[in-house]
Amino acid sequence: MICESCQENEATVHITTGSGLNKTERYLCEVCANKSFSGQFSSFQDDSFNIHQLLQSLSAQQPFTSHKQQKKHCENCGSTVESILKNGKFGCAECYETFSEKSNEIITKVQLFQTEHNGKIPQKSSAYIKVKKEIEQLRAELSGLVEEQAFEEAAVVRDQIKSLEAGDGNGKD
Amino acid sequence: MAMGKISPWVSQAKEIPVEMSSRIRLARNVRELPFPHLVEDDEMSGVIETLNDTLDDFNRIDLEELKFEDKALLVEKHLISPLFTKRGRLSYINGDESVSIMVNEEDHIRIQAMGAELSLDELYENASSLDDRLESRLDYAFDDKYGFLTACPTNIGTGLRASVMLHLPALSLGNRIQRVSNNLNRFGFTLRGIYGEGSVPLGHIYQLSNQLTLGQSEEDIIKSLNELKARIIEEEIEMRSIMHNEHLIKAKDSIFRSYGILKHAYTISLKEAANHLSNIKLGVDLGFLPENTIRFQELVQLIQPAFIKMRLNSLDKEYVSLERAVAEERATLLREHIGGTI
Repeated sequence: MICESCQENEATVHITTGSGLNKTERYLCEVCANKSFSGQFSSFQDDSFNIHQLLQSLSAQQPFTSHKQQKKHCENCGSTVESILKNGKFGCAECYETFSEKSNEIITKVQLFQTEHNGKIPQKSSAYIKVKKEIEQLRAELSGLVEEQAFEEAAVVRDQIKSLEAGDGNGKD
Repeated sequence: MAMGKISPWVSQAKEIPVEMSSRIRLARNVRELPFPHLVEDDEMSGVIETLNDTLDDFNRIDLEELKFEDKALLVEKHLISPLFTKRGRLSYINGDESVSIMVNEEDHIRIQAMGAELSLDELYENASSLDDRLESRLDYAFDDKYGFLTACPTNIGTGLRASVMLHLPALSLGNRIQRVSNNLNRFGFTLRGIYGEGSVPLGHIYQLSNQLTLGQSEEDIIKSLNELKARIIEEEIEMRSIMHNEHLIKAKDSIFRSYGILKHAYTISLKEAANHLSNIKLGVDLGFLPENTIRFQELVQLIQPAFIKMRLNSLDKEYVSLERAVAEERATLLREHIGGTI
């Protein structure tokens, strides 16, 4: 294992500081361990540095974000936009939806303008996603029918949507 | 599992030029639970119970029961990440140490499959079927637009990191790595050191991997990576033939110097040892040295600090400075393997 600080020498010293939740551990070479004891922790490199920096610059680009939006919390994990940018990580899966605008912006940047998943779908979700797509399609059809004032047919489509929605037992709307 | 021994899949692997091993990693999270940096231990207990149940054919490794050296050994075997040595609690590892699962690394679940003779497609199949097994028991965080949701948005979508370990001495010595690496970045791929993010290249070994995880299917990501890999290997081979044809004496000189040093040195640093091993492997590939001179992939792991320390412990050697003892033991190990003075 290589020293976390200089990334060159072998890590031979294991340093633990703090306790409980504030406990941090480092694996350093003798030279860097000595330096760190002299209080030079600033040279420590963090893996999340790049993403962290990127997210910081994103927040800097948004000087007009309203005060109200800043205060918004994720109801599931308590994260805010600030805490997400600070950690370089989302707090939980629901944060992506809670801060949908921001997450879309971040994902677009980080994933070089890719915004749609095209890969594997979990087996459990695949049925649910099929139903969701079907409902979307029927909703579009419904609004077309309403516009055409074809109310009888619209009622049939509306009932189809209702039954699909009722049958979707995945626990997510 | 045998801690101080090379993983069976590595020691059984056939040695070929340039390409060393491949790896697939899948990042998965459980719906509703906060991601690992925010989740409380008791919130994970249900997930862990399910994993214990589902992965009964795996060795369950409780990281809290391990000493620093043992954790470092798992890092050197690529079974866990450096980050995981700090806050990792639990990992599951299969019999030949080719498949591992980290619980609560950056994501709730990280599945990893490694191999030397299996293609990335085959490794993905292995990881994906294990993924299906877990998914049948757990409720994954999945979004129909963004795919698998991960703590860091750089892993969102497929959650897939596919990587290939490549030995590129000719490109490194010819100062071509930077150019290759810049080109790769444009395609959303990256070249980095062997222990992943933030690690320095050792023994001219690089890890080629995808940076983007969203937008493309797993099969397409792997296909692009395979194409890029083939291009890099082609360039490396081309540089090697330039070396052979235009700089023969210089190439032979550095290869045989390295051979001499590892055969006769009594103390050696990791970096120096890795560089000489790299030169010797190049010598084998170019036909200057017999094929059985070294097992490169294995030795690059055996010279790592935790492996050497494990060897020191097993020999019950006494020492004043650990650093010095490790450097001396590393030289002894290399002399033994290459048939030098004992």
